[in-house]
Amino acid sequence: MALRLVTRNLRNRISPNLCSASLLHSHATSFGFKEVREEEKSQMVGKVFSNVASNYDLMNDFMSAGLHRLWKDRLVSELSPFPGMKHLDVAGGTGDVAFRILESVNSIRRRALQDPINDDLQEETWIHVCDINQNMLNVGKNRALERGLGEDKSLVWVQGDAEALSFEDNSMDGYTIAFGIRNVTHIEKVLTEAYRVLKRGGRFLCLELSHVEIPVFKELYDFYSFSVIPRLGEVVAGDRESYQYLVESIRRFPPQEKFASMITDTGFQKVKYENLVGGVVAIHSGLKI
Amino acid sequence: MYRMAANRFLHHASLVKNSGGSSLLRFPILRTVITSSWFSTYADPQTFPNQTLHPSDSSTSSSSPTTAGDDPRQRRKNPRAEYEEEQDHVLQASLRHVIRFGWSEETMIAGAKEVGVSPSIVGSFPRKEAALVEFFMDDCLQRLIDRIDSGEELRQLIPSQRISKLVRIRLEMQAPYISKWPQALSFQAHPLNVPTSFKQRAMLVDEIWHAAGDEASDIDWYVKRTFLGGIYSATEIYMLTDRSPEFRDTWLFLDDRVKDAFDLKKTLQEATYLAEAVGAGMGSSLQGFVGKVFQR
Repeated sequence: MALRLVTRNLRNRISPNLCSASLLHSHATSFGFKEVREEEKSQMVGKVFSNVASNYDLMNDFMSAGLHRLWKDRLVSELSPFPGMKHLDVAGGTGDVAFRILESVNSIRRRALQDPINDDLQEETWIHVCDINQNMLNVGKNRALERGLGEDKSLVWVQGDAEALSFEDNSMDGYTIAFGIRNVTHIEKVLTEAYRVLKRGGRFLCLELSHVEIPVFKELYDFYSFSVIPRLGEVVAGDRESYQYLVESIRRFPPQEKFASMITDTGFQKVKYENLVGGVVAIHSGLKI
Repeated sequence: MYRMAANRFLHHASLVKNSGGSSLLRFPILRTVITSSWFSTYADPQTFPNQTLHPSDSSTSSSSPTTAGDDPRQRRKNPRAEYEEEQDHVLQASLRHVIRFGWSEETMIAGAKEVGVSPSIVGSFPRKEAALVEFFMDDCLQRLIDRIDSGEELRQLIPSQRISKLVRIRLEMQAPYISKWPQALSFQAHPLNVPTSFKQRAMLVDEIWHAAGDEASDIDWYVKRTFLGGIYSATEIYMLTDRSPEFRDTWLFLDDRVKDAFDLKKTLQEATYLAEAVGAGMGSSLQGFVGKVFQR
């Protein structure tokens, strides 16, 4: 915190053109490999997602060869949802994670219903889906209707900023952010907000594209990312730039260890990460005590 | 991770030296390895900076239970992470609900609610229900050690009776949960959980033999523990279907098995002597015969 103030003061005093924020905040001013002003970043990201919203799920399927479904399944099983849970899924616009959680809870509740002793577990489950982009939320609501969850009162769609959540302190049992934290301007703020809204004993789970270190696989993955994906974006979604931004933003995101230490610094305990597919995707988790 | 394992071994070795001149080599327990598979690897970046070497100073036991996998005779001086304390509280509270809900997630959720912590914490246990069972096993082992350390009554008994008594004390701790114990056994038998449950049982058997005054080394050490492991498991399973008041039949079964084992040992010893004698006898007559053949 102090470092940021010092560099900012120095920067303002010396010259506004002498740029490059300190390493700690390179994420805040990086839009893929481009350098942009902090204030502009969220706007630019917003444009990206407004463009991709309608084809988002289709492109996900293409890019990950359908694996993204398994990754999200893994995330939800790590979470272990329970009936009566108050959950917050941030940047979960199209609702993938939220639907899985809801279905998991309902299947548990149906089992519990057979046992009248467990009646006291029949509290209200609330799953909040928060996204900064209204287009993504609209797509999510439509998908909910398609899946037959449109009438389910447990799903709550909220538009909001991950860096300034509108929820109360200590109100959530779980917090997930799947493929969203890469796009925020200030990662630390998002983590702090997550810590704030979680109850004691609540868990923070983050599913994100991450860094691959395995020698040969790394080269293959780089080739796939920089050569195949933007072309795919061009052909399927007609939007090469957004997908160029996507693969670049993955590279600019902090590696697994660094991100884990950021989570620990926020105050979470028992922080660990799990690499899936050799590091292409990582699930970071932390516990608030 | 390997540094933690090395720490444990060092603690263990120093404890053995401290505990009144006993030169027994105790069963060295190493923490189970962090699992890794081809496509998913786990890492715990937080634990490394927290590990420091502290000599364990006393072998007096306390009543606080330890996390699954720890050697109960070790007392680390460095403070345990806060979440571990909280997890232990949750598990302790969950035990009170086992009779109602069995060894399941509902139990742990109920335990978490009792402690006042969000039930999400249940997801942070490595193997959820198995963690509860393992906690219980560690807790029982700890209580057994407490009983051994405090009780003088074992001194007057002969070894076979001592073993009988110790196994009985340990199994009586399971008696309140006996209706749900088959479920716990099934968790322990699950391939993912076998390493930990095997290790816990090995520690238990080792502890009982040590308390019974065992001074074996080499192959005998393994044979004794295998035998006792078998007796313990058989009695445990017998207890599941025992309806007699206060499990009287189980204790009779146990006494019989222990007697059988000791008798078997005597029988084997006698068989060995017999074989030696026959061998010696045959050897001398063979020698005589060969001598006569070559003298010709």
